[in-house]
Amino acid sequence: MLPNRSRLSVLVFLLPPLLLYGVAVLFPIMQSLFLSFFSWNGISDMEFVGLTNYVRMLTADDVFWRSFFNALGYLAICLVLQLGGALLVASLLTSMRRGRELIKTLYLLPAVISTVAIAFLFVRIYSIEPVGLLNQLLHWIGLGALERPWLSDINSVLTAVSAPEGWRFTGLYMLIIYAALLSVPQELEEAARLDGASRWQLFTKIRFPHIMPVWITTTIMATTYGLRGFDIPYLMTNGGPGQSSELLTTYMYKTAFTAQTSATQAPSPCSSSSSAWSP
Amino acid sequence: MTAPAAPVTRPRATPDPSESREPLRRRRKPSLHGTLSRVIIALIVIVQVYPLAWLFITSLRTEDDFATGDPFALPKAVTFDNYARAFETGNLGMNILNSFIVTMGANLLIVLLGMMAAYALQVLGFRYSKFVRSLFLIGIIVPVQIALVPLFIDYSSINLLDTYPSMIIPLAGFALPMSIYLFSSFFEYIPRETYEAASLDGAGPYRIFGLITLPLSVNTVVTVVLVNSIFIWNDFIFANTFVLSEELKTIPLGLQNYIGAMGKTDWTATFAAVCVTITPLLLVFLVLNKAMIQGLESGASKG
Repeated sequence: MLPNRSRLSVLVFLLPPLLLYGVAVLFPIMQSLFLSFFSWNGISDMEFVGLTNYVRMLTADDVFWRSFFNALGYLAICLVLQLGGALLVASLLTSMRRGRELIKTLYLLPAVISTVAIAFLFVRIYSIEPVGLLNQLLHWIGLGALERPWLSDINSVLTAVSAPEGWRFTGLYMLIIYAALLSVPQELEEAARLDGASRWQLFTKIRFPHIMPVWITTTIMATTYGLRGFDIPYLMTNGGPGQSSELLTTYMYKTAFTAQTSATQAPSPCSSSSSAWSP
Repeated sequence: MTAPAAPVTRPRATPDPSESREPLRRRRKPSLHGTLSRVIIALIVIVQVYPLAWLFITSLRTEDDFATGDPFALPKAVTFDNYARAFETGNLGMNILNSFIVTMGANLLIVLLGMMAAYALQVLGFRYSKFVRSLFLIGIIVPVQIALVPLFIDYSSINLLDTYPSMIIPLAGFALPMSIYLFSSFFEYIPRETYEAASLDGAGPYRIFGLITLPLSVNTVVTVVLVNSIFIWNDFIFANTFVLSEELKTIPLGLQNYIGAMGKTDWTATFAAVCVTITPLLLVFLVLNKAMIQGLESGASKG
């Protein structure tokens, strides 16, 4: 604590950020929670209904559960691609001598591209008419049987909309994990090597335990971003075909802003999913 | 993913260091492992970069070539017509200007307010600082969608819909927690003695902020600005929800205009438009990329 500070100076520094945060984040969350106990179509008077919205959402709304499980699947694919890919590349990078900077830059490149552009790009990658990159590649390596319109096949669509999100941010997490790996003490690794530890042992016994705190932070980050995922599924398939790629976020958005008839439900998915998401 | 790769190399990699007990550093890495990791890295880099290169190449193709040709082939003829059509169809210049205004406005708030909050929490300190800090940090995990409906209602009641602030406020608000986190963890590393010495010389909290904290934080500022710019420049959800008029549309919304404008999507022109809109951010990124990577890495190793 600074010796010469006054209560006023603390307020001067603290109030403006708190104000913005309150207006943009805290207050809307409270409002969402508040609205979820009412039945309201946006025009007429609000009517207090208690937990009815929640009950209806949890018991009578199939789409909610469908999109809930889809969101989990989406999250799982994103995490595997982002964290798995990040850990793999970061570990391999530490053993490289040259070109590290170049690879870090190239790897981070997709993060700069807007989701709308990425959605366009992947629509073409998955397309079958004219034949897109993925189907062409499968054809070449002799897996022609797997060729399909990835985005209109209900079995592949969830994977197809999750992969771009995973692809996009792998580089970001790779950088963070790479930095953590570099901070593993050299002496420790050296000593283990002299004792005859294999690379795999070195990784599981020394490196990974050492980066554990960073790994946890990264996992939390990737999980929250994964649960926030919206743009790419919304733009590529809008939840379709049917509800096979509907996520909680896209469902929430569509209920609130497109389907007029069910406007009363809107606040309820918002707040309940928020309570489900905050640990 | 790591698991299968590593054990494969183990049998050959282990005997060397254990048998000859000399420092491993002096010799070259075992070649199998080295080659394998290079191949894997190269493959992953291709997966990361090729789609972007393909995007650019496609923007130079003729429409016929795109519709019929092999997607991996190089274009038969290079044409810039797509770019001409891209500029005719949309209003790319205005979209870029709007994105620029929103990004600048939000960044200004994020950096200034983030730094102020971190200064109050980390340097000044006060009784409930722990509580306030966790209040801010909750924001990192809150999904933005939850605020859309209430914000929409609030904006329409104070006539703020369809304005720059309607995008800037939530973008800055939701980015603030991460910014505070990054600044706080940086401020931790400014030695106490610096502040104490300045205090003894009679400097108050405002002068210390202006003369010590602010100048020392330049690197963190660059990191915060770059990371946030990526998200804000590309923001889709707030712009799509709160902006209706053509004159305020940012790049992601402008790009959407290309889809199905005439029933059928002009893909080559769309890709040309994508290339144009990517360029400004990409240039900034490539120029400042080193500063950003360093900032991210140092933030991470402390976290």
